[in-house]
Amino acid sequence: MDIISQLQEQVNSIAALTFNTFGTLQRDATPVKLSPNYPDPPPAPVPPPDDATKFEDQPKLMSAALVKAAKQFDALVAALPLSDGGEEAQLKRIEELQAENDAVGQELQRQLEAAGLLLCSILITFSYFFSSIILTLLF
Amino acid sequence: MATATYPPPPPYYRLYKDYLQDPKSAPAPPPPVVGTYVCFGSTYTTDDILPSLEEQGVRQLYPKGSNIDFKKELRSLNRDLLLHILELADVLVSRPSQYARRVEDISLIFKNLHHLLNSLRPHQARATLIHILELQIQRRKQAVEDIKRRREEAQKLLKESLGAFEAQ
Repeated sequence: MDIISQLQEQVNSIAALTFNTFGTLQRDATPVKLSPNYPDPPPAPVPPPDDATKFEDQPKLMSAALVKAAKQFDALVAALPLSDGGEEAQLKRIEELQAENDAVGQELQRQLEAAGLLLCSILITFSYFFSSIILTLLF
Repeated sequence: MATATYPPPPPYYRLYKDYLQDPKSAPAPPPPVVGTYVCFGSTYTTDDILPSLEEQGVRQLYPKGSNIDFKKELRSLNRDLLLHILELADVLVSRPSQYARRVEDISLIFKNLHHLLNSLRPHQARATLIHILELQIQRRKQAVEDIKRRREEAQKLLKESLGAFEAQ
Protein backbone atom coordinates (compact mmCIF):
# COMPACT_ATOMS: atom_id res chain seq x y z
CA MET A 1 0.00 0.00 0.00
CA ASP A 2 1.40 3.43 -0.76
CA ILE A 3 2.62 5.57 2.08
CA ILE A 4 -0.21 8.12 2.05
CA SER A 5 -2.80 5.35 2.34
CA GLN A 6 -0.76 3.85 5.17
CA LEU A 7 -0.77 7.24 6.91
CA GLN A 8 -4.54 7.51 6.46
CA GLU A 9 -5.02 3.98 7.84
CA GLN A 10 -2.79 4.87 10.79
CA VAL A 11 -4.88 7.99 11.58
CA ASN A 12 -8.04 5.87 11.49
CA SER A 13 -6.48 3.24 13.75
CA ILE A 14 -5.44 5.94 16.26
CA ALA A 15 -9.07 7.12 16.28
CA ALA A 16 -10.32 3.56 16.76
CA LEU A 17 -7.87 2.92 19.62
CA THR A 18 -8.94 6.19 21.28
CA PHE A 19 -12.63 5.48 21.34
CA ASN A 20 -12.11 1.81 22.21
CA THR A 21 -9.89 2.86 25.13
CA PHE A 22 -12.37 5.34 26.54
CA GLY A 23 -15.34 3.08 25.88
CA THR A 24 -13.80 0.03 27.54
CA LEU A 25 -12.55 1.95 30.56
CA GLN A 26 -15.90 3.66 31.06
CA ARG A 27 -17.79 0.40 30.67
CA ASP A 28 -15.62 -1.85 32.81
CA ALA A 29 -14.39 0.47 35.56
CA THR A 30 -15.15 -0.59 39.12
CA PRO A 31 -17.88 1.55 40.75
CA VAL A 32 -16.82 4.47 42.98
CA LYS A 33 -17.75 4.36 46.68
CA LEU A 34 -20.02 7.37 47.28
CA SER A 35 -19.82 7.45 51.09
CA PRO A 36 -17.73 5.63 53.73
CA ASN A 37 -20.94 4.60 55.50
CA TYR A 38 -22.03 2.25 52.76
CA PRO A 39 -21.01 -1.37 53.30
CA ASP A 40 -18.39 -2.92 51.02
CA PRO A 41 -19.83 -4.92 48.15
CA PRO A 42 -19.75 -8.73 48.45
CA PRO A 43 -16.57 -10.27 47.05
CA ALA A 44 -16.82 -10.77 43.27
CA PRO A 45 -17.27 -14.34 41.98
CA VAL A 46 -14.25 -16.08 40.45
CA PRO A 47 -13.80 -14.58 36.95
CA PRO A 48 -14.30 -17.03 34.05
CA PRO A 49 -11.04 -18.68 33.01
CA ASP A 50 -11.08 -17.14 29.48
CA ASP A 51 -10.89 -13.58 30.90
CA ALA A 52 -7.14 -13.47 30.47
CA THR A 53 -6.44 -9.84 31.27
CA LYS A 54 -7.55 -8.38 34.54
CA PHE A 55 -9.14 -4.95 34.53
CA GLU A 56 -6.16 -3.37 36.31
CA ASP A 57 -3.92 -4.09 33.34
CA GLN A 58 -6.30 -2.65 30.73
CA PRO A 59 -5.41 1.06 31.04
CA LYS A 60 -1.71 0.31 30.79
CA LEU A 61 -2.08 -1.98 27.79
CA MET A 62 -4.43 0.36 25.96
CA SER A 63 -2.37 3.47 26.53
CA ALA A 64 0.74 1.57 25.42
CA ALA A 65 -1.08 0.60 22.20
CA LEU A 66 -2.13 4.24 21.64
CA VAL A 67 1.40 5.54 22.13
CA LYS A 68 2.76 2.83 19.85
CA ALA A 69 0.28 3.82 17.13
CA ALA A 70 1.27 7.48 17.47
CA LYS A 71 4.97 6.57 17.23
CA GLN A 72 4.27 4.53 14.11
CA PHE A 73 2.51 7.55 12.61
CA ASP A 74 5.61 9.65 13.28
CA ALA A 75 7.82 6.99 11.68
CA LEU A 76 5.59 6.95 8.57
CA VAL A 77 5.70 10.76 8.36
CA ALA A 78 9.50 10.61 8.53
CA ALA A 79 9.47 8.10 5.66
CA LEU A 80 7.48 10.40 3.34
CA PRO A 81 9.51 10.96 0.16
CA LEU A 82 8.74 14.67 -0.05
CA SER A 83 11.65 15.89 -2.17
CA ASP A 84 10.73 19.47 -2.35
CA GLY A 85 10.81 22.12 -4.86
CA GLY A 86 7.06 22.00 -4.77
CA GLU A 87 4.63 21.91 -7.63
CA GLU A 88 6.60 24.08 -10.09
CA ALA A 89 9.73 21.93 -9.85
CA GLN A 90 7.70 18.80 -10.49
CA LEU A 91 5.91 20.34 -13.49
CA LYS A 92 9.23 21.50 -14.94
CA ARG A 93 10.68 18.00 -14.54
CA ILE A 94 7.62 16.51 -16.23
CA GLU A 95 8.11 18.86 -19.21
CA GLU A 96 11.79 17.93 -19.50
CA LEU A 97 10.98 14.24 -19.33
CA GLN A 98 8.26 14.62 -21.97
CA ALA A 99 10.68 16.35 -24.34
CA GLU A 100 13.31 13.65 -23.76
CA ASN A 101 10.67 10.94 -24.23
CA ASP A 102 9.63 12.46 -27.58
CA ALA A 103 13.25 12.61 -28.77
CA VAL A 104 13.95 9.02 -27.76
CA GLY A 105 10.67 7.98 -29.37
CA GLN A 106 11.69 9.55 -32.66
CA GLU A 107 15.09 7.85 -32.50
CA LEU A 108 13.32 4.53 -31.87
CA GLN A 109 11.05 5.16 -34.86
CA ARG A 110 14.08 5.83 -37.08
CA GLN A 111 15.79 2.64 -35.91
CA LEU A 112 12.61 0.66 -36.57
CA GLU A 113 12.34 2.05 -40.09
CA ALA A 114 15.98 1.24 -40.79
CA ALA A 115 15.48 -2.28 -39.45
CA GLY A 116 12.44 -2.65 -41.73
CA LEU A 117 14.52 -1.63 -44.74
CA LEU A 118 17.24 -4.07 -43.73
CA LEU A 119 14.65 -6.83 -43.49
CA CYS A 120 13.46 -6.01 -47.03
CA SER A 121 17.02 -6.14 -48.37
CA ILE A 122 17.59 -9.49 -46.63
CA LEU A 123 14.43 -10.89 -48.19
CA ILE A 124 15.50 -9.65 -51.65
CA THR A 125 18.96 -11.18 -51.18
CA PHE A 126 17.42 -14.46 -50.06
CA SER A 127 15.13 -14.61 -53.09
CA TYR A 128 18.13 -13.80 -55.34
CA PHE A 129 20.12 -16.68 -53.79
CA PHE A 130 17.18 -19.01 -54.07
CA SER A 131 16.47 -18.19 -57.73
CA SER A 132 20.18 -18.54 -58.68
CA ILE A 133 20.37 -21.93 -56.96
CA ILE A 134 17.20 -23.08 -58.73
CA LEU A 135 18.58 -21.89 -62.10
CA THR A 136 21.91 -23.66 -61.57
CA LEU A 137 20.06 -26.82 -60.61
CA LEU A 138 17.83 -26.66 -63.67
CA PHE A 139 20.61 -25.98 -66.19
CA MET B 1 -44.52 -6.35 -0.37
CA ALA B 2 -45.39 -4.33 -3.44
CA THR B 3 -42.69 -4.06 -6.05
CA ALA B 4 -42.61 -1.26 -8.58
CA THR B 5 -42.08 -1.92 -12.27
CA TYR B 6 -38.85 -0.77 -13.86
CA PRO B 7 -39.00 2.76 -15.30
CA PRO B 8 -39.56 2.87 -19.09
CA PRO B 9 -36.62 3.62 -21.41
CA PRO B 10 -36.14 7.31 -22.27
CA PRO B 11 -38.62 8.35 -25.00
CA TYR B 12 -36.05 9.67 -27.48
CA TYR B 13 -35.19 6.16 -28.70
CA ARG B 14 -37.83 6.73 -31.43
CA LEU B 15 -35.61 9.34 -33.04
CA TYR B 16 -33.08 6.65 -33.97
CA LYS B 17 -35.45 4.52 -36.06
CA ASP B 18 -33.60 5.05 -39.36
CA TYR B 19 -30.10 5.22 -37.92
CA LEU B 20 -28.81 2.19 -39.83
CA GLN B 21 -29.93 3.55 -43.20
CA ASP B 22 -29.05 7.19 -42.61
CA PRO B 23 -26.78 7.94 -39.62
CA LYS B 24 -27.34 11.69 -40.03
CA SER B 25 -31.11 11.51 -39.54
CA ALA B 26 -30.74 10.97 -35.80
CA PRO B 27 -29.55 13.68 -33.36
CA ALA B 28 -25.93 13.59 -32.20
CA PRO B 29 -25.31 12.65 -28.53
CA PRO B 30 -25.27 15.66 -26.16
CA PRO B 31 -21.82 17.16 -25.37
CA PRO B 32 -20.17 16.21 -22.02
CA VAL B 33 -21.36 18.16 -18.98
CA VAL B 34 -19.17 21.06 -17.91
CA GLY B 35 -19.24 22.65 -14.49
CA THR B 36 -21.87 21.60 -11.96
CA TYR B 37 -24.79 19.26 -12.54
CA VAL B 38 -27.70 17.96 -10.48
CA CYS B 39 -28.13 14.20 -10.11
CA PHE B 40 -30.95 12.68 -8.01
CA GLY B 41 -31.44 15.96 -6.20
CA SER B 42 -27.81 16.65 -5.19
CA THR B 43 -25.37 18.96 -6.94
CA TYR B 44 -22.08 17.52 -8.13
CA THR B 45 -19.16 19.16 -9.84
CA THR B 46 -17.02 17.96 -12.73
CA ASP B 47 -14.05 19.91 -11.40
CA ASP B 48 -12.11 17.42 -9.27
CA ILE B 49 -10.21 19.56 -6.75
CA LEU B 50 -10.09 18.92 -3.06
CA PRO B 51 -12.40 21.52 -1.43
CA SER B 52 -10.58 23.56 1.19
CA LEU B 53 -11.48 23.17 4.85
CA GLU B 54 -13.23 26.56 5.00
CA GLU B 55 -15.59 25.46 2.23
CA GLN B 56 -16.59 22.53 4.42
CA GLY B 57 -17.02 24.75 7.49
CA VAL B 58 -14.03 23.34 9.40
CA ARG B 59 -11.38 25.49 11.10
CA GLN B 60 -7.91 25.04 9.62
CA LEU B 61 -5.30 24.43 12.32
CA TYR B 62 -2.14 24.41 10.21
CA PRO B 63 -0.86 27.62 8.59
CA LYS B 64 -2.13 28.54 5.12
CA GLY B 65 0.22 29.24 2.25
CA SER B 66 1.42 27.66 -0.95
CA ASN B 67 4.49 25.93 0.51
CA ILE B 68 3.42 23.92 3.52
CA ASP B 69 6.02 21.79 5.31
CA PHE B 70 3.87 18.68 5.41
CA LYS B 71 6.08 16.60 7.67
CA LYS B 72 6.33 19.31 10.31
CA GLU B 73 2.59 20.02 10.27
CA LEU B 74 1.69 16.32 10.43
CA ARG B 75 4.00 15.76 13.38
CA SER B 76 2.69 18.78 15.30
CA LEU B 77 -0.93 17.74 14.64
CA ASN B 78 -0.09 14.26 15.94
CA ARG B 79 1.35 15.75 19.15
CA ASP B 80 -1.69 18.01 19.55
CA LEU B 81 -3.94 14.99 19.13
CA LEU B 82 -2.23 13.06 21.92
CA LEU B 83 -2.39 16.09 24.24
CA HIS B 84 -6.10 16.48 23.57
CA ILE B 85 -6.70 12.79 24.26
CA LEU B 86 -4.96 13.16 27.62
CA GLU B 87 -7.02 16.28 28.32
CA LEU B 88 -10.20 14.33 27.56
CA ALA B 89 -9.14 11.60 29.98
CA ASP B 90 -8.52 14.22 32.69
CA VAL B 91 -11.86 15.92 32.06
CA LEU B 92 -13.68 12.58 32.26
CA VAL B 93 -12.13 11.97 35.66
CA SER B 94 -12.67 15.44 37.16
CA ARG B 95 -15.61 17.10 35.33
CA PRO B 96 -17.33 14.37 33.28
CA SER B 97 -20.16 16.57 32.01
CA GLN B 98 -17.78 18.75 29.99
CA TYR B 99 -16.59 16.10 27.59
CA ALA B 100 -18.32 17.58 24.53
CA ARG B 101 -15.87 20.40 23.81
CA ARG B 102 -12.85 18.14 24.13
CA VAL B 103 -14.43 15.58 21.80
CA GLU B 104 -15.12 18.36 19.29
CA ASP B 105 -11.49 19.48 19.47
CA ILE B 106 -10.28 15.93 18.87
CA SER B 107 -12.55 15.52 15.86
CA LEU B 108 -11.35 18.89 14.50
CA ILE B 109 -7.75 17.65 14.71
CA PHE B 110 -8.69 14.44 12.91
CA LYS B 111 -10.41 16.38 10.12
CA ASN B 112 -7.33 18.56 9.69
CA LEU B 113 -5.07 15.49 9.60
CA HIS B 114 -7.14 13.85 6.88
CA HIS B 115 -7.34 17.06 4.87
CA LEU B 116 -3.55 17.45 4.98
CA LEU B 117 -3.09 13.86 3.84
CA ASN B 118 -5.59 14.34 1.01
CA SER B 119 -3.77 17.44 -0.17
CA LEU B 120 -0.63 15.31 -0.55
CA ARG B 121 -2.32 13.25 -3.26
CA PRO B 122 -1.72 15.64 -6.22
CA HIS B 123 1.98 15.68 -5.30
CA GLN B 124 1.94 11.86 -5.30
CA ALA B 125 0.21 11.82 -8.70
CA ARG B 126 2.88 14.08 -10.22
CA ALA B 127 5.67 12.00 -8.67
CA THR B 128 4.09 8.83 -10.11
CA LEU B 129 3.93 10.47 -13.54
CA ILE B 130 7.60 11.43 -13.33
CA HIS B 131 8.51 7.87 -12.36
CA ILE B 132 6.49 6.39 -15.25
CA LEU B 133 8.08 8.78 -17.76
CA GLU B 134 11.56 7.88 -16.51
CA LEU B 135 10.80 4.16 -16.82
CA GLN B 136 9.45 4.64 -20.33
CA ILE B 137 12.52 6.60 -21.43
CA GLN B 138 14.79 3.90 -20.02
CA ARG B 139 12.85 1.14 -21.83
CA ARG B 140 12.91 3.05 -25.13
CA LYS B 141 16.66 3.66 -24.87
CA GLN B 142 17.18 -0.04 -24.18
CA ALA B 143 15.07 -0.93 -27.23
CA VAL B 144 17.09 1.48 -29.42
CA GLU B 145 20.34 -0.15 -28.28
CA ASP B 146 18.99 -3.65 -28.92
CA ILE B 147 17.76 -2.76 -32.40
CA LYS B 148 21.10 -1.13 -33.28
CA ARG B 149 23.00 -4.21 -32.17
CA ARG B 150 20.77 -6.63 -34.07
CA ARG B 151 20.91 -4.48 -37.20
CA GLU B 152 24.69 -4.52 -37.12
CA GLU B 153 24.74 -8.30 -36.62
CA ALA B 154 22.27 -8.81 -39.44
CA GLN B 155 24.25 -6.58 -41.79
CA LYS B 156 27.45 -8.45 -40.97
CA LEU B 157 25.76 -11.79 -41.67
CA LEU B 158 24.31 -10.46 -44.92
CA LYS B 159 27.75 -9.28 -46.10
CA GLU B 160 29.33 -12.62 -45.17
CA SER B 161 26.66 -14.60 -46.96
CA LEU B 162 26.93 -12.41 -50.08
CA GLY B 163 30.68 -12.82 -50.02
CA ALA B 164 30.38 -16.59 -49.62
CA PHE B 165 27.85 -16.77 -52.44
CA GLU B 166 29.99 -14.69 -54.81
CA ALA B 167 32.99 -16.86 -54.03
CA GLN B 168 31.16 -20.00 -55.12
